[in-house]
Amino acid sequence: MPEEEKISYYLKKSKALKDNFEKKIRISILSSFTLNGIEEIFKVKCNEKNISCNACLGDYNQYNQEILDPSSKLYKFKPNITFLILDTRSILEELWYFPYAIDEKQRQNFIEKKFKEIKNLITIFLKHSNSKLIISNFFIPVNSNYGIFETKLKFGLQKMINTLNNNLQDFIRNLDSVYLFDMNGFISKHGENNVFDPKQFLFGDLKISLNFIPYLVNDLMGYVIATLGISKRCIVLDLDNTLWGGIVGEDGFNAIKLGSDPSGKAFVEFQKYLLGLHNRGILLAINSKNNFDDAIKVIEEHPDMILKKEHFASIKINWNNKVSNIKEISDELNFGLENFVFFDDDPLNREFMKSSLPQVLTVDLPADPSKYVRTIQEMNEFNLLKITSEDKQRGVIYSQQKERKTFENSSNNLEDFLKNMDLKVTIKKADTFTIPRISQLILKTNQFNLTTKRYSLEEIQKLSQNDDILMGCVQVEDKFGDNGITAVFIVKKNGTKEWILDTFLLSCRVMGRQIEKSILGYIIKIAKQNNVDKIIANFIPTKKNQPIENFLPDCGFKKEKDFWVISLNDSFMAPDFIKIDEK
Amino acid sequence: MSEKLYEIIAKVMDTSIDKITDNSSPETIPSWDSFNSYILLDELESEFKTEFTIDEITETKNVSDIKKHLKVHGINLND
Repeated sequence: MPEEEKISYYLKKSKALKDNFEKKIRISILSSFTLNGIEEIFKVKCNEKNISCNACLGDYNQYNQEILDPSSKLYKFKPNITFLILDTRSILEELWYFPYAIDEKQRQNFIEKKFKEIKNLITIFLKHSNSKLIISNFFIPVNSNYGIFETKLKFGLQKMINTLNNNLQDFIRNLDSVYLFDMNGFISKHGENNVFDPKQFLFGDLKISLNFIPYLVNDLMGYVIATLGISKRCIVLDLDNTLWGGIVGEDGFNAIKLGSDPSGKAFVEFQKYLLGLHNRGILLAINSKNNFDDAIKVIEEHPDMILKKEHFASIKINWNNKVSNIKEISDELNFGLENFVFFDDDPLNREFMKSSLPQVLTVDLPADPSKYVRTIQEMNEFNLLKITSEDKQRGVIYSQQKERKTFENSSNNLEDFLKNMDLKVTIKKADTFTIPRISQLILKTNQFNLTTKRYSLEEIQKLSQNDDILMGCVQVEDKFGDNGITAVFIVKKNGTKEWILDTFLLSCRVMGRQIEKSILGYIIKIAKQNNVDKIIANFIPTKKNQPIENFLPDCGFKKEKDFWVISLNDSFMAPDFIKIDEK
Repeated sequence: MSEKLYEIIAKVMDTSIDKITDNSSPETIPSWDSFNSYILLDELESEFKTEFTIDEITETKNVSDIKKHLKVHGINLND
């Protein structure tokens, strides 16, 4: 477990924080017990990740009132994310001590009643707030008056809480802006006897002892990172002593530690964990100082190598410095450096990376490889609020991307290349299936993004039901495969007078294919069918959206005062080599 | 030897060390509220590698009480 600082460290540090970061979040915490200090810890942890945070802890055990009263402090605070942290004692009341004072049927009724109460709180909260809601499940105590016989009881104490947890999970599964935090898992991970301190409980009703509140916030930060859409997308790995033990260039193919003995197994375990991340859409890349032939032989031929060549979106094995390598990987994959995590066993390499590229998250790997897996397990940077099918296929898509690059390089000119790509775009409506992906693109896309407006999932849902809005997303396919949904547009209809291009974005994955012109052609076609005169657009420049800078003039928009306008009486030529479909 | 103890109290109460004496207590230091006293307890226990009993904590009214209890635990700060 990576060591956490004591709470006093956070209290002190919270007094001198920067609060002028571009990313901002408002966090509300409601709890059934004392959680003082949690605001300060959130602020410090957000600051460490360049997020300005405003946090507000509700009054002690006032969560019911805060949620039920529409004019409460909670709703006035207008949080982006709200944590409702309840504990088993408070919910069970006297049954915590005497669960068998009532019979089985009554115990069932009790749990049913509690579940309804919580359901009601969630429903009311959603009515009054646009905030994400994260509610903790309930810790299942291990000790029972009945000792070893507890598990033989019908609807006993453990079963009661288990049922409540399961019901809660089932209820929340289909609510888009509500998530369950596994408090039971948190307490088992750290151990009830550590997390619960009887003295602190008796003195101050602390149900999570002071030293574990920072650990709790660390886990809760996963939701903050995911809500802001700043999760990491690519892990860049060193090879020697990172993916295998020893130095292949010196020790040789047969002497490196991989598989067989305990220290070799540590690297196999680490690779398996990485493969699991790859399978859910985290990209992997190699950045190693080595003789290419020595290292690639291990990757291609070593029987215990879990990660194969096709699992890596980019491979840099050379004698260049690691900073320039990672920059090249970033260019190749078209991801900003802030999406990268760097793993290297060598502290010098890490220092060099940290000081040259602070936006890359350089992980302090422990000296002992048996601890690699836990280090990566404890990271909260890979969390996503939704894991879409695009995410799961990302690894495959990027390996097709390598083929596309080769094809592009072998084509005589760009036009030939595009004509021979067999490009096909499919315009899809915003619906339950596509909205999670639309939200992801709206939160994540920086480069080809006309206005960089960041709508929350809840806002997108509301927009999708508004008749004055035309919203859609675009699936892009070519002869190498399916790129998935990679573009989004939102048009605000101002009657037939004019339509306004509110949001127009393209994932970097499909940039440079003139897809944008096809999509604009589609919007123009629909606008014409509605007898609209003109389309108005606004280009909001950011540090990162230069790629879309010339899009409007290139498409025939004319500058009029602060806006760009295209008259629909003029003809617009969409590229003829892109097939367009509607669904 | 009292220095270490004063240092911890000053840190937790976010005040300067010269404001701390053996007579310091929640009455004399405004930031010494109940929550800060739990933090102080936790800091003292880890710094001096000991554990106070619930009675000792209840009886503690000021800094000299802390010293008295530490002495019982074999930590003498008055030498």
